[in-house]
Amino acid sequence: MNSTSYVACPECDLLINYAQPKVGEKIHCPRCDVLLLKPSKQTIERTFALSFAGFILFFPANFLPLVSISLFGNANSDIIMSGVLALFTKTMWPVAIVVFLTSIVFPFAQISLSLLISGHLYFNQPNRYLICWMRWIHHLNEWVMLEVYMLSIIVACVKLMAISPLKFGWGLYAFVALIFITTLLISNRDNHLFWQRIEQLCKDNNHAN
Amino acid sequence: MQTKTNALKQGFIRCHNCGYLTKALHQLLACPRCDSHLHARRPQSLERTTALLLSSLFMYIPANIFPIMTVNQFGTGDTHTIAGGIIELIDTGMIPIGLLVFVASILVPSLKLLGIGLLLICVHFRWKINPRRWTSLYRIIAFIGRWSMLDIFMISILVDLVHFNGVQIIAGPAAIAFSAVVILTMFAAENFDPRLLWDNQPS
Ligand SMILES: [Zn+2]
Repeated sequence: MNSTSYVACPECDLLINYAQPKVGEKIHCPRCDVLLLKPSKQTIERTFALSFAGFILFFPANFLPLVSISLFGNANSDIIMSGVLALFTKTMWPVAIVVFLTSIVFPFAQISLSLLISGHLYFNQPNRYLICWMRWIHHLNEWVMLEVYMLSIIVACVKLMAISPLKFGWGLYAFVALIFITTLLISNRDNHLFWQRIEQLCKDNNHAN
Repeated sequence: MQTKTNALKQGFIRCHNCGYLTKALHQLLACPRCDSHLHARRPQSLERTTALLLSSLFMYIPANIFPIMTVNQFGTGDTHTIAGGIIELIDTGMIPIGLLVFVASILVPSLKLLGIGLLLICVHFRWKINPRRWTSLYRIIAFIGRWSMLDIFMISILVDLVHFNGVQIIAGPAAIAFSAVVILTMFAAENFDPRLLWDNQPS
Protein backbone atom coordinates (compact mmCIF):
# COMPACT_ATOMS: atom_id res chain seq x y z
CA MET A 1 0.00 0.00 0.00
CA ASN A 2 1.46 3.29 -1.07
CA SER A 3 0.76 5.67 1.78
CA THR A 4 1.25 8.85 -0.23
CA SER A 5 -2.01 8.36 -2.12
CA TYR A 6 -3.80 8.01 1.19
CA VAL A 7 -4.76 10.78 3.50
CA ALA A 8 -6.28 10.69 6.98
CA CYS A 9 -8.99 13.20 7.74
CA PRO A 10 -7.69 15.62 10.40
CA GLU A 11 -11.07 15.86 12.09
CA CYS A 12 -12.51 12.34 12.00
CA ASP A 13 -9.43 10.22 11.16
CA LEU A 14 -11.12 8.50 8.21
CA LEU A 15 -8.54 6.86 5.96
CA ILE A 16 -9.22 8.15 2.47
CA ASN A 17 -7.83 6.90 -0.79
CA TYR A 18 -7.94 9.71 -3.30
CA ALA A 19 -7.04 10.42 -6.88
CA GLN A 20 -5.01 13.61 -7.29
CA PRO A 21 -7.67 16.31 -7.82
CA LYS A 22 -7.47 18.63 -10.83
CA VAL A 23 -7.10 22.39 -10.49
CA GLY A 24 -10.38 23.84 -9.25
CA GLU A 25 -11.61 20.52 -7.86
CA LYS A 26 -12.20 20.12 -4.15
CA ILE A 27 -11.92 16.99 -2.07
CA HIS A 28 -14.09 16.84 1.03
CA CYS A 29 -14.02 14.14 3.65
CA PRO A 30 -16.91 11.80 2.76
CA ARG A 31 -17.66 11.19 6.42
CA CYS A 32 -17.40 14.58 8.16
CA ASP A 33 -17.33 16.91 5.14
CA VAL A 34 -14.21 18.87 6.10
CA LEU A 35 -12.32 20.36 3.13
CA LEU A 36 -9.19 18.29 2.56
CA LEU A 37 -7.63 19.41 -0.72
CA LYS A 38 -8.25 22.36 -2.99
CA PRO A 39 -5.52 22.71 -5.58
CA SER A 40 -5.51 25.95 -7.51
CA LYS A 41 -3.37 27.55 -10.20
CA GLN A 42 -0.08 29.20 -9.29
CA THR A 43 -0.62 28.88 -5.56
CA ILE A 44 3.00 29.62 -4.70
CA GLU A 45 3.24 32.68 -6.96
CA ARG A 46 -0.03 34.02 -5.60
CA THR A 47 0.94 33.42 -1.97
CA PHE A 48 4.27 35.12 -2.60
CA ALA A 49 2.63 38.18 -4.18
CA LEU A 50 -0.03 38.44 -1.45
CA SER A 51 2.50 38.10 1.38
CA PHE A 52 4.67 40.76 -0.22
CA ALA A 53 1.73 43.16 -0.50
CA GLY A 54 0.74 42.36 3.08
CA PHE A 55 4.27 42.98 4.30
CA ILE A 56 4.30 46.44 2.69
CA LEU A 57 0.81 47.31 3.98
CA PHE A 58 1.69 46.28 7.51
CA PHE A 59 3.70 49.47 8.06
CA PRO A 60 1.14 52.16 7.10
CA ALA A 61 -1.54 50.12 8.89
CA ASN A 62 0.50 50.23 12.08
CA PHE A 63 2.16 53.63 11.96
CA LEU A 64 -0.48 55.94 10.47
CA PRO A 65 -3.42 56.98 12.67
CA LEU A 66 -6.54 54.83 12.38
CA VAL A 67 -9.06 57.19 13.97
CA SER A 68 -8.79 60.58 15.62
CA ILE A 69 -11.17 62.31 17.98
CA SER A 70 -11.25 65.89 19.20
CA LEU A 71 -12.82 67.13 22.38
CA PHE A 72 -12.47 70.55 24.08
CA GLY A 73 -10.11 71.62 21.34
CA ASN A 74 -7.70 68.73 21.99
CA ALA A 75 -7.22 65.96 19.45
CA ASN A 76 -6.22 62.35 20.14
CA SER A 77 -5.46 59.80 17.48
CA ASP A 78 -5.19 56.05 17.79
CA ILE A 79 -2.77 53.57 16.28
CA ILE A 80 -2.77 49.93 17.41
CA MET A 81 0.48 50.37 19.33
CA SER A 82 -0.73 53.46 21.22
CA GLY A 83 -3.76 51.44 22.33
CA VAL A 84 -1.37 48.82 23.68
CA LEU A 85 0.73 51.43 25.47
CA ALA A 86 -2.35 53.09 26.96
CA LEU A 87 -3.21 49.75 28.61
CA PHE A 88 0.35 49.11 29.75
CA THR A 89 -0.19 50.24 33.34
CA LYS A 90 0.67 48.64 36.67
CA THR A 91 -2.43 46.44 36.68
CA MET A 92 -3.51 46.16 33.04
CA TRP A 93 -0.27 44.91 31.48
CA PRO A 94 -1.57 41.35 30.90
CA VAL A 95 -4.35 42.76 28.71
CA ALA A 96 -1.84 45.02 26.95
CA ILE A 97 0.34 42.00 26.14
CA VAL A 98 -2.63 40.03 24.79
CA VAL A 99 -3.63 42.91 22.51
CA PHE A 100 -0.02 43.43 21.44
CA LEU A 101 0.42 39.76 20.50
CA THR A 102 -2.89 39.18 18.70
CA SER A 103 -3.04 42.43 16.76
CA ILE A 104 0.63 43.26 16.04
CA VAL A 105 3.13 40.45 16.71
CA PHE A 106 1.18 37.47 15.36
CA PRO A 107 -0.09 39.22 12.20
CA PHE A 108 3.46 40.39 11.47
CA ALA A 109 4.86 36.92 12.13
CA GLN A 110 2.23 35.32 9.92
CA ILE A 111 2.91 37.63 6.98
CA SER A 112 6.70 37.40 7.34
CA LEU A 113 6.69 33.61 7.61
CA SER A 114 4.35 33.38 4.64
CA LEU A 115 6.70 35.65 2.66
CA LEU A 116 9.76 33.61 3.67
CA ILE A 117 8.19 30.24 2.87
CA SER A 118 6.60 31.19 -0.44
CA GLY A 119 9.75 33.12 -1.42
CA HIS A 120 11.98 30.11 -0.85
CA LEU A 121 9.59 27.86 -2.77
CA TYR A 122 9.20 30.38 -5.59
CA PHE A 123 12.97 30.68 -6.10
CA ASN A 124 13.54 26.97 -5.36
CA GLN A 125 15.86 27.77 -2.49
CA PRO A 126 16.18 24.97 0.05
CA ASN A 127 16.52 26.09 3.65
CA ARG A 128 16.72 23.91 6.72
CA TYR A 129 14.37 26.28 8.58
CA LEU A 130 11.51 25.85 6.08
CA ILE A 131 10.06 23.00 8.16
CA CYS A 132 10.16 25.10 11.34
CA TRP A 133 8.49 28.03 9.60
CA MET A 134 5.71 25.83 8.26
CA ARG A 135 5.10 24.43 11.74
CA TRP A 136 4.94 27.88 13.31
CA ILE A 137 2.61 29.36 10.71
CA HIS A 138 0.32 26.36 11.16
CA HIS A 139 -0.21 27.32 14.81
CA LEU A 140 -0.52 31.07 14.19
CA ASN A 141 -3.69 31.27 12.08
CA GLU A 142 -6.12 31.21 14.95
CA TRP A 143 -4.26 33.86 16.94
CA VAL A 144 -4.21 36.52 14.24
CA MET A 145 -7.21 38.67 15.11
CA LEU A 146 -7.12 41.62 12.72
CA GLU A 147 -10.74 41.24 11.59
CA VAL A 148 -11.91 41.16 15.21
CA TYR A 149 -9.90 44.34 15.80
CA MET A 150 -11.62 45.93 12.81
CA LEU A 151 -15.04 45.16 14.31
CA SER A 152 -13.85 46.72 17.59
CA ILE A 153 -12.88 49.90 15.73
CA ILE A 154 -16.38 50.08 14.27
CA VAL A 155 -18.07 49.54 17.65
CA ALA A 156 -15.77 52.06 19.36
CA CYS A 157 -16.51 54.62 16.63
CA VAL A 158 -20.26 54.20 16.97
CA LYS A 159 -19.93 54.67 20.73
CA LEU A 160 -17.79 57.78 20.39
CA MET A 161 -19.78 59.36 17.58
CA ALA A 162 -22.36 60.36 20.18
CA ILE A 163 -19.73 62.38 22.05
CA SER A 164 -17.65 64.02 19.39
CA PRO A 165 -16.86 64.07 15.67
CA LEU A 166 -14.37 61.43 14.45
CA LYS A 167 -11.82 61.54 11.68
CA PHE A 168 -10.63 58.42 9.88
CA GLY A 169 -6.93 58.34 9.08
CA TRP A 170 -4.95 56.75 6.24
CA GLY A 171 -3.91 54.00 8.61
CA LEU A 172 -7.48 52.73 8.63
CA TYR A 173 -7.56 52.27 4.85
CA ALA A 174 -4.23 50.42 4.96
CA PHE A 175 -5.61 48.33 7.83
CA VAL A 176 -8.71 47.33 5.86
CA ALA A 177 -6.52 46.38 2.88
CA LEU A 178 -4.28 44.37 5.21
CA ILE A 179 -7.26 42.40 6.54
CA PHE A 180 -8.38 41.73 2.98
CA ILE A 181 -4.93 40.40 2.10
CA THR A 182 -4.48 38.20 5.18
CA THR A 183 -7.93 36.70 4.56
CA LEU A 184 -7.00 35.92 0.96
CA LEU A 185 -3.67 34.51 2.15
CA ILE A 186 -5.29 32.04 4.53
CA SER A 187 -7.88 30.90 2.01
CA ASN A 188 -5.25 30.64 -0.72
CA ARG A 189 -2.50 28.78 1.10
CA ASP A 190 -2.32 25.11 0.14
CA ASN A 191 -0.52 23.36 3.01
CA HIS A 192 -0.61 20.03 1.21
CA LEU A 193 1.21 21.43 -1.82
CA PHE A 194 3.64 23.43 0.32
CA TRP A 195 4.67 20.40 2.33
CA GLN A 196 5.14 18.34 -0.84
CA ARG A 197 7.30 21.05 -2.39
CA ILE A 198 9.37 21.40 0.80
CA GLU A 199 9.91 17.65 0.95
CA GLN A 200 11.01 17.74 -2.70
CA LEU A 201 13.40 20.64 -2.11
CA CYS A 202 14.98 18.93 0.91
CA LYS A 203 15.46 15.70 -1.05
CA ASP A 204 17.03 17.49 -4.04
CA ASN A 205 19.29 19.36 -1.68
CA ASN A 206 20.43 16.16 0.03
CA HIS A 207 21.19 14.56 -3.35
CA ALA A 208 23.20 17.57 -4.45
CA ASN A 209 25.40 17.38 -1.36
CA MET B 1 -11.67 2.40 -3.33
CA GLN B 2 -13.11 3.93 -0.23
CA THR B 3 -12.14 2.67 3.18
CA LYS B 4 -14.63 2.95 5.99
CA THR B 5 -12.25 2.75 8.91
CA ASN B 6 -10.18 5.13 10.96
CA ALA B 7 -6.57 5.54 9.95
CA LEU B 8 -5.49 4.54 13.45
CA LYS B 9 -7.28 1.17 13.17
CA GLN B 10 -5.27 0.51 10.00
CA GLY B 11 -2.09 1.41 11.84
CA PHE B 12 -1.59 4.85 10.35
CA ILE B 13 -0.80 8.02 12.25
CA ARG B 14 -1.39 11.43 10.71
CA CYS B 15 1.20 14.05 11.64
CA HIS B 16 -0.67 16.90 13.35
CA ASN B 17 1.62 19.48 11.79
CA CYS B 18 2.19 18.47 8.19
CA GLY B 19 -0.50 15.85 7.60
CA TYR B 20 1.98 13.16 6.55
CA LEU B 21 0.65 9.64 6.97
CA THR B 22 3.02 7.21 8.68
CA LYS B 23 2.65 3.49 9.22
CA ALA B 24 3.12 3.30 12.97
CA LEU B 25 4.95 -0.01 12.95
CA HIS B 26 8.19 0.54 14.75
CA GLN B 27 6.98 2.94 17.40
CA LEU B 28 8.16 5.86 15.32
CA LEU B 29 8.41 8.93 17.48
CA ALA B 30 9.03 11.66 14.93
CA CYS B 31 7.35 12.46 11.64
CA PRO B 32 9.70 11.52 8.77
CA ARG B 33 8.75 14.66 6.87
CA CYS B 34 8.66 17.46 9.44
CA ASP B 35 10.21 15.84 12.52
CA SER B 36 7.23 16.66 14.77
CA HIS B 37 6.45 14.40 17.66
CA LEU B 38 3.93 11.84 16.41
CA HIS B 39 0.75 11.00 18.25
CA ALA B 40 -2.43 9.47 16.91
CA ARG B 41 -4.68 11.65 19.09
CA ARG B 42 -3.82 14.86 20.84
CA PRO B 43 -2.03 13.81 24.05
CA GLN B 44 -4.10 13.98 27.23
CA SER B 45 -6.79 15.74 25.22
CA LEU B 46 -9.56 15.24 27.77
CA GLU B 47 -7.47 16.06 30.84
CA ARG B 48 -6.01 19.23 29.34
CA THR B 49 -9.31 20.44 27.92
CA THR B 50 -11.02 19.85 31.26
CA ALA B 51 -8.32 21.72 33.17
CA LEU B 52 -8.48 24.67 30.78
CA LEU B 53 -12.27 24.68 30.82
CA LEU B 54 -12.40 24.71 34.62
CA SER B 55 -9.90 27.55 34.86
CA SER B 56 -11.84 29.62 32.33
CA LEU B 57 -15.07 28.89 34.21
CA PHE B 58 -13.33 30.16 37.33
CA MET B 59 -12.26 33.37 35.57
CA TYR B 60 -15.73 33.82 34.11
CA ILE B 61 -17.07 34.91 37.51
CA PRO B 62 -14.78 37.94 38.12
CA ALA B 63 -15.11 38.81 34.43
CA ASN B 64 -18.81 39.40 34.92
CA ILE B 65 -18.85 40.84 38.45
CA PHE B 66 -16.09 43.44 38.30
CA PRO B 67 -16.23 46.61 36.20
CA ILE B 68 -14.66 46.27 32.77
CA MET B 69 -14.20 50.01 32.38
CA THR B 70 -14.65 53.29 34.19
CA VAL B 71 -15.61 56.58 32.56
CA ASN B 72 -14.27 59.50 34.58
CA GLN B 73 -16.13 62.71 33.82
CA PHE B 74 -14.98 65.80 35.70
CA GLY B 75 -14.31 63.98 38.94
CA THR B 76 -17.24 61.57 38.93
CA GLY B 77 -16.46 57.96 38.02
CA ASP B 78 -18.99 55.83 36.20
CA THR B 79 -18.16 52.11 36.25
CA HIS B 80 -19.53 49.55 33.80
CA THR B 81 -19.63 45.80 34.01
CA ILE B 82 -19.85 43.83 30.75
CA ALA B 83 -23.64 43.53 31.06
CA GLY B 84 -23.98 47.15 32.22
CA GLY B 85 -22.19 48.44 29.14
CA ILE B 86 -24.55 46.52 26.88
CA ILE B 87 -27.64 47.75 28.71
CA GLU B 88 -26.39 51.31 28.38
CA LEU B 89 -25.82 50.87 24.64
CA ILE B 90 -29.37 49.60 24.20
CA ASP B 91 -30.81 52.34 26.42
CA THR B 92 -29.17 55.02 24.32
CA GLY B 93 -30.75 53.56 21.20
CA MET B 94 -27.67 51.85 19.73
CA ILE B 95 -29.50 48.55 19.51
CA PRO B 96 -27.57 46.82 16.69
CA ILE B 97 -24.22 47.59 18.32
CA GLY B 98 -25.60 46.57 21.71
CA LEU B 99 -26.70 43.24 20.27
CA LEU B 100 -23.33 42.74 18.60
CA VAL B 101 -21.49 43.30 21.89
CA PHE B 102 -24.01 41.05 23.65
CA VAL B 103 -23.30 38.24 21.20
CA ALA B 104 -19.51 38.66 21.39
CA SER B 105 -19.15 39.19 25.14
CA ILE B 106 -21.95 37.18 26.71
CA LEU B 107 -23.52 34.73 24.27
CA VAL B 108 -20.32 33.42 22.65
CA PRO B 109 -18.29 32.85 25.87
CA SER B 110 -21.16 31.16 27.72
CA LEU B 111 -22.11 28.98 24.75
CA LYS B 112 -18.46 28.09 24.36
CA LEU B 113 -18.07 27.03 27.97
CA LEU B 114 -21.28 25.02 27.69
CA GLY B 115 -20.34 23.49 24.33
CA ILE B 116 -16.86 22.39 25.36
CA GLY B 117 -18.34 20.96 28.56
CA LEU B 118 -20.87 18.96 26.51
CA LEU B 119 -18.16 17.67 24.14
CA LEU B 120 -16.08 16.51 27.11
CA ILE B 121 -19.02 14.76 28.77
CA CYS B 122 -19.98 13.15 25.49
CA VAL B 123 -16.51 11.67 24.97
CA HIS B 124 -16.02 10.73 28.61
CA PHE B 125 -19.27 8.77 28.88
CA ARG B 126 -18.96 7.37 25.35
CA TRP B 127 -22.40 8.59 24.38
CA LYS B 128 -23.77 7.12 21.18
CA ILE B 129 -24.35 10.28 19.19
CA ASN B 130 -24.38 11.50 15.62
CA PRO B 131 -20.65 12.30 15.39
CA ARG B 132 -21.14 14.42 12.29
CA ARG B 133 -23.41 16.81 14.15
CA TRP B 134 -21.09 16.94 17.14
CA THR B 135 -18.10 17.63 14.92
CA SER B 136 -20.02 20.63 13.54
CA LEU B 137 -20.57 21.78 17.12
CA TYR B 138 -16.82 21.52 17.69
CA ARG B 139 -16.11 23.51 14.50
CA ILE B 140 -18.52 26.28 15.49
CA ILE B 141 -16.91 26.51 18.93
CA ALA B 142 -13.42 26.65 17.43
CA PHE B 143 -14.51 29.33 14.93
CA ILE B 144 -16.39 31.74 17.17
CA GLY B 145 -13.93 31.85 20.08
CA ARG B 146 -11.71 34.63 18.78
CA TRP B 147 -14.63 37.03 18.22
CA SER B 148 -15.01 37.47 21.98
CA MET B 149 -11.86 39.57 21.92
CA LEU B 150 -14.09 42.35 20.55
CA ASP B 151 -14.59 43.93 23.96
CA ILE B 152 -10.90 43.79 24.87
CA PHE B 153 -9.78 45.49 21.64
CA MET B 154 -12.53 48.05 22.03
CA ILE B 155 -11.29 48.94 25.51
CA SER B 156 -7.77 49.36 24.19
CA ILE B 157 -9.08 51.76 21.52
CA LEU B 158 -11.35 53.71 23.91
CA VAL B 159 -8.70 54.04 26.62
CA ASP B 160 -6.28 55.37 24.03
CA LEU B 161 -8.69 57.81 22.36
CA VAL B 162 -10.50 59.17 25.38
CA HIS B 163 -7.86 60.61 27.68
CA PHE B 164 -8.60 64.33 27.93
CA ASN B 165 -8.39 66.71 30.85
CA GLY B 166 -11.65 66.01 32.62
CA VAL B 167 -12.82 63.01 30.60
CA GLN B 168 -11.04 59.67 30.72
CA ILE B 169 -11.82 56.04 30.14
CA ILE B 170 -9.92 53.55 32.30
CA ALA B 171 -9.88 49.77 31.96
CA GLY B 172 -11.23 47.81 34.92
CA PRO B 173 -10.12 44.50 36.50
CA ALA B 174 -12.75 42.50 34.60
CA ALA B 175 -10.75 43.16 31.43
CA ILE B 176 -7.96 40.92 32.73
CA ALA B 177 -10.38 38.18 33.78
CA PHE B 178 -12.29 38.38 30.52
CA SER B 179 -9.22 38.14 28.30
CA ALA B 180 -8.16 35.15 30.40
CA VAL B 181 -11.57 33.54 29.72
CA VAL B 182 -11.23 34.09 25.97
CA ILE B 183 -7.69 32.75 25.77
CA LEU B 184 -8.27 29.77 28.07
CA THR B 185 -11.37 28.69 26.12
CA MET B 186 -9.44 29.03 22.85
CA PHE B 187 -6.71 26.77 24.25
CA ALA B 188 -9.38 24.38 25.53
CA ALA B 189 -10.94 24.13 22.06
CA GLU B 190 -7.49 23.66 20.52
CA ASN B 191 -6.70 20.81 22.89
CA PHE B 192 -9.94 18.98 22.30
CA ASP B 193 -9.51 16.29 19.66
CA PRO B 194 -12.71 15.90 17.55
CA ARG B 195 -11.52 12.45 16.43
CA LEU B 196 -12.36 11.18 19.92
CA LEU B 197 -16.04 11.72 19.01
CA TRP B 198 -15.66 9.27 16.13
CA ASP B 199 -13.56 6.73 18.04
CA ASN B 200 -16.43 5.89 20.38
CA GLN B 201 -18.95 5.15 17.64
CA PRO B 202 -19.59 1.69 16.24
CA SER B 203 -18.44 1.78 12.62
ZN1 LIG C 1 -13.45 13.57 8.11
